[in-house]
Amino acid sequence: MSTAKQSLARLDDLIDGRLMAKLDQLDVVSRKIFSGKLHGERRSKRRGQSVEFADFRPYAAGDDLRFVDWNIYGRLDRLFLKMFLEEEDLSLVIAIDASASMRTGEPDSFDYARKLAMALGYVGLSNQHRVSMLAFNEHGVERISNLRGRRKSSELASWLLRLKPEGGSGFDAAMKTAALSRLGRGVMIVVSDFLLREGYERGLGMVAGRGFDLFALQVLSPQQVDPTREGGVSGDLKLVDSESLGETEVTVTPALLSSYKARLDGWTGGLRQWCARRAVTHLVVESSLPVETLMLEYLRRRGLVR
Amino acid sequence: MLALTWLTPFAGALLAGIVLPPLLALWFLKLRRRPRIVASTLLWTRSLADLRANAPFQRLRPSVLLFLQLLLIALIAVAIAQPESTGVVDSGGRYVLLIDRSASMLATESIDGASKTRLDIAKHAAIDRVHELLGGGFFAPRAGDVMVVAFASRAEVRAPFTDSVADLEKAIQSITPTDEETRLGEALEVARAFSTNVDPDRPDRTVAAPARLELYSDGRFADLAQLTLRPMESLVYRKVGSAKDNVGIVALAAERPADRPDDVQVFAALVNMNLEPVSVSVQLALDGQARAITPEPIAIPAASLGGAGGTEFRPGSAQVIFRPIAQPRDVVIEASLLRKDALASDDTAFAVVPPSKRLRVLLVNSEGFVLASALDALPVERVDRITGADFDALLASQAPVSYDLVVLNNYAPKFLPQGRYLIFGAAPPLPELNVYGTQKDVWCRVMREESPLLRSASLDELYVGSAIATRPSKAWEIVAEGADAPLVLTYDAGDTHAVYVTYDILESNWPFQRSFLNFVANAVDSLGHAGEAITAQGVRPGDAIALRIPAGSRQARVTGPAGIDATPKVDSDGNLLWGPVLRAGLYDISFLENDRTEPSTRRVAANLYSAAESHIEPVAEIRLGVDAVSAAAVTAERRSSVWPWILGLGLLILILEWWVYQRQVRV
Repeated sequence: MSTAKQSLARLDDLIDGRLMAKLDQLDVVSRKIFSGKLHGERRSKRRGQSVEFADFRPYAAGDDLRFVDWNIYGRLDRLFLKMFLEEEDLSLVIAIDASASMRTGEPDSFDYARKLAMALGYVGLSNQHRVSMLAFNEHGVERISNLRGRRKSSELASWLLRLKPEGGSGFDAAMKTAALSRLGRGVMIVVSDFLLREGYERGLGMVAGRGFDLFALQVLSPQQVDPTREGGVSGDLKLVDSESLGETEVTVTPALLSSYKARLDGWTGGLRQWCARRAVTHLVVESSLPVETLMLEYLRRRGLVR
Repeated sequence: MLALTWLTPFAGALLAGIVLPPLLALWFLKLRRRPRIVASTLLWTRSLADLRANAPFQRLRPSVLLFLQLLLIALIAVAIAQPESTGVVDSGGRYVLLIDRSASMLATESIDGASKTRLDIAKHAAIDRVHELLGGGFFAPRAGDVMVVAFASRAEVRAPFTDSVADLEKAIQSITPTDEETRLGEALEVARAFSTNVDPDRPDRTVAAPARLELYSDGRFADLAQLTLRPMESLVYRKVGSAKDNVGIVALAAERPADRPDDVQVFAALVNMNLEPVSVSVQLALDGQARAITPEPIAIPAASLGGAGGTEFRPGSAQVIFRPIAQPRDVVIEASLLRKDALASDDTAFAVVPPSKRLRVLLVNSEGFVLASALDALPVERVDRITGADFDALLASQAPVSYDLVVLNNYAPKFLPQGRYLIFGAAPPLPELNVYGTQKDVWCRVMREESPLLRSASLDELYVGSAIATRPSKAWEIVAEGADAPLVLTYDAGDTHAVYVTYDILESNWPFQRSFLNFVANAVDSLGHAGEAITAQGVRPGDAIALRIPAGSRQARVTGPAGIDATPKVDSDGNLLWGPVLRAGLYDISFLENDRTEPSTRRVAANLYSAAESHIEPVAEIRLGVDAVSAAAVTAERRSSVWPWILGLGLLILILEWWVYQRQVRV
């Protein structure tokens, strides 16, 4: 695994025109219908200022007089307000793990996470959703909020390209920040490897209960999934933890590999079960999987996009 | 200075050469773990914990690595035990190495195309044994002390008890071969004398266990029947050699025929030690010049096993008689077998023949023609005749008697000086004859027919009318006697040799019998050459050369075979003594007489002449009293330690194990 990597530098590195054209047909789907802040292209439960009539209600002091139905007033001499079905926007929040552990693997997990975030963000922007992104590590949370419209793609891309993964994950703190932020209600996608010493339960629990339609995308490098792949581990090694810099001396034997795989399965399986119990969609993504395939097939199949 | 002994320098260097580079490689490749950055060691540490959680006990699974590691440890264990390729290494205590250097140890053994003498092989084996006992090597406790005794017919301590390998090796190397016979008794006595610690208060008990005796020999000992092992004594017999093909000369004699004193006739006795008949040609050389060879090879019958149980070895034997060779001068005769066998020392024999000698005889009182004419008929230089009175006068003048033999015919002088006498009739003035009268009418009743005097001279028909009656002491030897008193006696004391016939021949019927002439001839021949063999007396290896040379001789020197050049001891009377003679062959003793500038030379032949030593086949088992000691064979190959090789193999297995391990972890 090389540590000196060719990092992403341009918008095209994150998302190319061909992919954009394909993504233009997609939309982010929430299994819940949330009320947004702006009029969006999404039908909201909230009755409001759309053209589609929903109901009447009696006038109350302070109501906007523009919505009084004067015809009814003429007939019944009572003030009624016309109520419409309002078309709302969707809040799409993408949280990216920017810890050092993401800067490993071939292909690099962090680059993959940024590409994925860009693709999802582009879909959100294209569909006039309110797109916010968080990048978190132990140094804190960096965010870009409330982008809307396709023309914000370059701003989003610039923000993503500026991110630098380092240090520990600070997962719990980041999730807490996200939960407390006024990001509105909508779809939240957490992109991380979820290999967290402190555990993922507490952090995810904070956002899972806040009305987000939550997706946990677990990005693992091929070498993390199968260490015997090229660039993996073999022989007598001193393994250095990319975040804590702690060292572990191992002699890679079939028994150890088999134990590692069992451990990894146990870890991801545990995450999947935890998510299932809380209506969180969990998906393991290998960083070798093309983003296009992921978006057009996997995520569509899992109902994140349509 | 500390003497270092390297037991296996070659193996050590080889081992270092083979093992060190891979060892370094292992160190670099294996012990230095490569650092590798991974996303998280979380799962790895937990996986390791899983693996370790299964320890220490788990179901044993078949594993090549496990097998190799077990094999490696087993090999190291075996190597530490220091196995050797032959024999058993034991140590501790005291050892006496008895190395046989007798004639049979000069037999050559063919080993890997090279020939070595048994003595060389024995020395080699003894040195190896010293290294085994004292050389140490890894983990080996040192033995106590080792003593080296070389022996043949005598024993010599070559190194007293010591633990110095260098000294012992030097002592063993210095052992030279001899042509002596093998006698173990003295060697055992010497070993016991040095190795037995006796408690001064309890002389019947030894303080410590006797040293262990190790015998390097082919096992042919002349004195074995008289030897026994003492209680607590242990003897290891290390048999040396295996060759048995040998034919040897066990006797060589030369004679000048009485009727042709200028000729030399040579007789040789040969023995065949092989169990099949052999034919061998014998060459005769005079003064180093080949002069004769047997016209046809001499067939010697095979040796046989006879006696009770077929254990008695009887060599095949044959005699060779060469045609007389004209040789009036003194000469050295060398007989050689023209056949190659394992032992060369007995294939050649020497005999030194003095110049031909004719006797000068003095006949005292020549009355009566019978005796005079009998003497005249003999092949002597001359016979002088004088009367009794003249003889007395001659004795009185004290001039040296220059005759080889004096014949007293019925005449008794007042005294007789040293010399050789044939006496008839009147009783001579010789001691312990004890004359007590006369005997009448005597017939010869008893005679010693084996006496050389009576060769072809039977006295059965002899009648004596009157003889002098004597009762001699044991200084006299009776050759023939009548009913009451001896008729023919011999006297040998110092340089006086006499044959006494107790009657006047004219008082008997003897002159008419053929036996008379034969008797006179026998007596003159016997007395005339008494004290000197026809061939000059030789010596046997192990004996000393003793010669009488003119008094006052100077610069005496002995030169002999195998480069022997020594100065003998000579006393003021001219008695020369040098010895012991260790090697068979021809010895020249040169000296300067008083008034001469040219050195005089005498020659002495030393011959093996031992059927026991010629029988070179090594004995498988020797019996000392009731103890049978079996042979532990000794070969010329160096007894080598096996453990360095085992250790080397172990290291190879270690490398293999590492390779297998690497293959497994690379998956």
